[in-house]
Amino acid sequence: MNFIGLMVLTLIEVVAVGFHLPDERIFIFSNYTLMILTVVAIPKFIMIALIFMHLYGEEDSGILTVTALFPSFFIIIMILFIGLTHPEATTGLPAWCRPGTY
Amino acid sequence: MNRKSMRTLLVLSAIAMAMIVSPAVVSYPTGIQGVKDSGCNCHGATTSSEVVPSITGLPDQYNYSESYEIVVSFVGGPASPTNSNQGGFNLWVSDGELSPSDATVQSYNPNEVSHTEAGNDQTSWTLIWTSPSSDRNVEFILHTNSVNGNADGANGGSSGDMWNKLTAKVSPPVLVLEEADPFVVLSTLIVVSAILLAFTLAYVFYRTNPESFTWDYFAPWIADWLTTTDHKKVGTLYFVAGLFFLGVGGIMAMMIRIQLAVPGNDFLTQDQYNQFFTLHGTTMIFLAAMPLINGFANWMVPLQIGAPDLALPRLNAMSFWLQPVGALLIFTGVFSGSGADTGWTGYAPYVVSETAHMGTTMWVAGQIMLVASSTLTGINFLTTIAVMRAPGMGWLQMPLFTWSILIANLMLFLSIPAFGIGLIQVYLDRVIGTAFYDVSAGGDPLLWSHLFWYFGHPEVYVVIVPAFGVISEVIATSARRSIFGYRSMVYAMAGIGIVSFIVYGHHMFTSGMSPTLRFVTMLTTMLVAVPTGIKIFNWLKTMHGGSLVYRTHTLWTLGFLVTFTLGGISGMFFPSIAMDLHLHESYFVVAHFHYVLVGGTVFGFYAAIYYWFPKMSGRMLDEKLGVLHFLVGFISYNALFWPMHRLGVWGMARRHHTYFVTTEEAMGALPIEAAGWNMFISVSAFIFFFSNFIMVANMIKTLIRGEKAPPDPWGGWSFEWMTESPPPTPSFDPHNLPVLTDANEHIANEPGTLSKLFNRLMVSEEDTEEVTH
Amino acid sequence: MSVHDDHHPSAWGPHDWSHGAPHNSWSPFIMSVGIGIFLFSVAGVYRWGEMIDAGSIALVFAGLAIIMFGLAVFWRQDMSFDGAYEPKATGTPFRGIDIRKVSVWIFLMSEMMVFTSLFSTYMRYRFGIESCESVFESGQWVEGTSVTCFEPAGHLIASSWFHIAPGAINTFALIVSSFTVVQALRYAKKVDLDHKVRTKLVTRYLGATTVLAILFLTLKMIEWFIGFPLPEFLAEYNHGDTTIKSLYAEGYLINADSYQHHYYDTAYLADHGHGISHDTELYAMMESGTHSGGQMMANIRVSASTFYVTTGTHGVHVLGGIIGLMYMTFKASRGGYTPENAVSIEYFGLYWHFVDLIWVIVFPFFYLY
Repeated sequence: MNFIGLMVLTLIEVVAVGFHLPDERIFIFSNYTLMILTVVAIPKFIMIALIFMHLYGEEDSGILTVTALFPSFFIIIMILFIGLTHPEATTGLPAWCRPGTY
Repeated sequence: MNRKSMRTLLVLSAIAMAMIVSPAVVSYPTGIQGVKDSGCNCHGATTSSEVVPSITGLPDQYNYSESYEIVVSFVGGPASPTNSNQGGFNLWVSDGELSPSDATVQSYNPNEVSHTEAGNDQTSWTLIWTSPSSDRNVEFILHTNSVNGNADGANGGSSGDMWNKLTAKVSPPVLVLEEADPFVVLSTLIVVSAILLAFTLAYVFYRTNPESFTWDYFAPWIADWLTTTDHKKVGTLYFVAGLFFLGVGGIMAMMIRIQLAVPGNDFLTQDQYNQFFTLHGTTMIFLAAMPLINGFANWMVPLQIGAPDLALPRLNAMSFWLQPVGALLIFTGVFSGSGADTGWTGYAPYVVSETAHMGTTMWVAGQIMLVASSTLTGINFLTTIAVMRAPGMGWLQMPLFTWSILIANLMLFLSIPAFGIGLIQVYLDRVIGTAFYDVSAGGDPLLWSHLFWYFGHPEVYVVIVPAFGVISEVIATSARRSIFGYRSMVYAMAGIGIVSFIVYGHHMFTSGMSPTLRFVTMLTTMLVAVPTGIKIFNWLKTMHGGSLVYRTHTLWTLGFLVTFTLGGISGMFFPSIAMDLHLHESYFVVAHFHYVLVGGTVFGFYAAIYYWFPKMSGRMLDEKLGVLHFLVGFISYNALFWPMHRLGVWGMARRHHTYFVTTEEAMGALPIEAAGWNMFISVSAFIFFFSNFIMVANMIKTLIRGEKAPPDPWGGWSFEWMTESPPPTPSFDPHNLPVLTDANEHIANEPGTLSKLFNRLMVSEEDTEEVTH
Repeated sequence: MSVHDDHHPSAWGPHDWSHGAPHNSWSPFIMSVGIGIFLFSVAGVYRWGEMIDAGSIALVFAGLAIIMFGLAVFWRQDMSFDGAYEPKATGTPFRGIDIRKVSVWIFLMSEMMVFTSLFSTYMRYRFGIESCESVFESGQWVEGTSVTCFEPAGHLIASSWFHIAPGAINTFALIVSSFTVVQALRYAKKVDLDHKVRTKLVTRYLGATTVLAILFLTLKMIEWFIGFPLPEFLAEYNHGDTTIKSLYAEGYLINADSYQHHYYDTAYLADHGHGISHDTELYAMMESGTHSGGQMMANIRVSASTFYVTTGTHGVHVLGGIIGLMYMTFKASRGGYTPENAVSIEYFGLYWHFVDLIWVIVFPFFYLY
């Protein structure tokens, strides 16, 4: 059942942290732990939303799912514009774009 | 070449010529200085007691309009006759006139004199003071600077100088009282307004039923108003509150204009001025504009969609009551004299610094309550419009005012959590000592700017889009035809709604934010003008295809079209980052946003008031008074805000408590004409402020003995005109809702591709009864 | 005050729902006044992190009491709600769906934006400010002077199984509580069930949800402020220490501008055999003698602020859920839930699952990472 699956996934998360994985970049993540946490959080999120919150398998699931997903655009904008624009972040920009070089 | 392309070419070349010929912009690199308050701080950071300034020749008590020759001098400091320059001075007087008597002294304005280049090499100067013709407590402030003559030295030779300050007073022939304290004036005016409001309400209560003017009837009457959840009554509550705070905001604006009427004025100190413009902005946007929009929305949206009430009536009442209590918190500063002085934008880190006034914490707390109120409002209206439309009314059959409220609420409640979180962060910083914006702990002030403007930009569209809706309704009814291009109007509003979230960087171009984001928001801001332009053309085409009936609401709508377009065009100078760097924080910005906010939103409200007042109150407003209101108001409004464009281009800065003019361009102050224009603006402001009382008087007079209104006085055809004036409670019988059968004015023909996509997600039409959970 | 008759039910409750939602209610006015008093008096008690006037604490509680009183009026009107009036949407695309369900989903949209703002703040600071660990290893610090750096709470919490335990148990508690809410709804909706049996089951499950939610907050308080002791036989896995310190005891505070921890203490690392990694600047500097080592002092106020406020906001939402649950358990124990009005439990369930969803994101990224 749903909540057993969620418990199992949580167990995986906790165990992964306990293993003290190496601190190297993998794909787009800054370390292995972060990758496992993110990769596990996604199915947890989906399982709770779809099953517990009735966004799957019910008559009105379609429109409610669209409603639930509507803010995604605004969430992405906020994360891009606010979360990832700390002044120090400009050190990651190419030289021709950084202030002081043009 | 055919006629059409000839015409296009001509138009394009006319535009090109205009762009070449239009005047260049000059900005003053040195900005504006006020020596009277800050001292000779180009010459040194602090006063030095070695320099002793003095003024001789002043009487203890002056005679009216008499000229006195006074000598300004100093001893001490490093000045000596062998230096190339010995010293300088700046003398300011609060009343009367100062004038030079030789070439060593120059006059900046009648209240302020200083030395010239020629008079740079002496330690005393002679000049003339002419006393005022009335009784004033005259104050002289003298700064003298003792130069050490190192003309080639550091700081252009001014390091090593020492300066000091001296104040002197002269009494009038007849003793006068101290000048008024602006906060006392403001509090008095607010209390007087509140008392007037209470009396008016009591009077209206009395006149509606003179027999029952007893305590037994009063208590249930007031309890009914305090506890009502009926959308019409809540709408009325919003109106009364909104109009009251529109007046209070106007009082603050009047006091700001008194201060700015003449250069170097001292009616408001710098500190007080900061509080006044902060509260003016906050009051006007959050306590006047938003409640007025909610008032109309509460009244008209359920009527227009054929719903008996809103979806969540008690929550609606909660939305309202959070506002007056929030206003009380915000205004605790006014009554304590130490209100928020951060600007309505409350920039960090000043907003969390100990130098910001203590009233800032309450200002933040009140706004947190307003955030909660707006969130609840958003939920309520979105739900209502999404689910409670009458049978037969699909999305593209809704009246445009309802569409505008939908889009506005969507923008509002998706963006306001960002502001709420920012406010909570500031509140916690100031109260329990978190470090969100504490720079020494690594806090980032730009975070506040981002959170604030992520909300702030959609917010200004939230206040204008309902005005768009009103204008659409009024133009269609006045032109006696349906609106031109209904579907494009809807898509334009939806487009504005979505794009408004990605343009907010244009408020922060000078903040040092991420360069990539600056570039992106420059482009998106240029883009967002397009849907608005589409709407304006649609309105023009509606009038062109119809035949206008000139009522007061029509006049205000036409006024809106002029002023909002002008405001929008002046706004198009700002997306270009290079232009923005010059125009930021100047009066050009003030002119722009007042053109779109007052010329847009407030004119839209006036049109709405004249349009819907018969429906809401059951009585017809006086047309003659309405036209008078329009004429006086529209003319004085333009006289008030148009010159601000010029002042901004000259370099007059906003949020500065005073300004200075000079004949010498090199000193970096404004030209002499600027003083005249400021006085002109102040006078126009008073006329505009008082013109609004024509409307209030009209409303009161009408409520008491106005002519009764029929259900449909203007010939409109949306659902609200099918009900009585005023409508009953519940507005429509829930078991007998109206059905929209003939709405060819709003119908958008066959569903387009987007509509078909939505259709796939809809609950199947046949199963409306059997849907179980 | 109010006229008591069928046409004008009292604005204080109870309410006859066959006519629709109440036309009058004292609840909004009272709750607004309470919130205003609360916000005003909290600012009167604390200023810049210091308590300036303990007397205002009474006013804080008065404000909270007024809010609860307003809520009580609201619920008094709701108690008699038996599902006879559950308005359904007439407009597409929501036609046929309960209006209140749509409004809960729209409310959740705004809550998503609330938590996105908090996460954006956290991301901005976490990626923008250098982490204390990398500052320590770069050797750019002097013993006795505080450096500004970002110390994620996960560093402390994920350091041992015992520290993770309260957070992990909390996760299980929330998941199980989501499950019990689902069960409560299921039994409330079951038509072929004796009403007494239904009452008992629904009360039990809602009560279990309440207990689990209270457990969540209790464990959070333990983790934040109290800490907990370890039995003897486990102490050897904890460096011989018989207590697990709370974050408060570790010095992870919002006013911690001179935070010190044994992770950033060269002497401690040497003593306990952990050592400093050999490919760090600090190691090189200590070997060459340019760095004298010692204990690094850090200004971690920003990290603590973001942690406590974000997880605290989530906790406040759990608290709100508990208050709602208490009312619902009470109503269930009076037999108030029948298949006609069982949807009320579903709406609460949606909110509760959302709280769980936020925890699914908060737990890994704030507690473990």
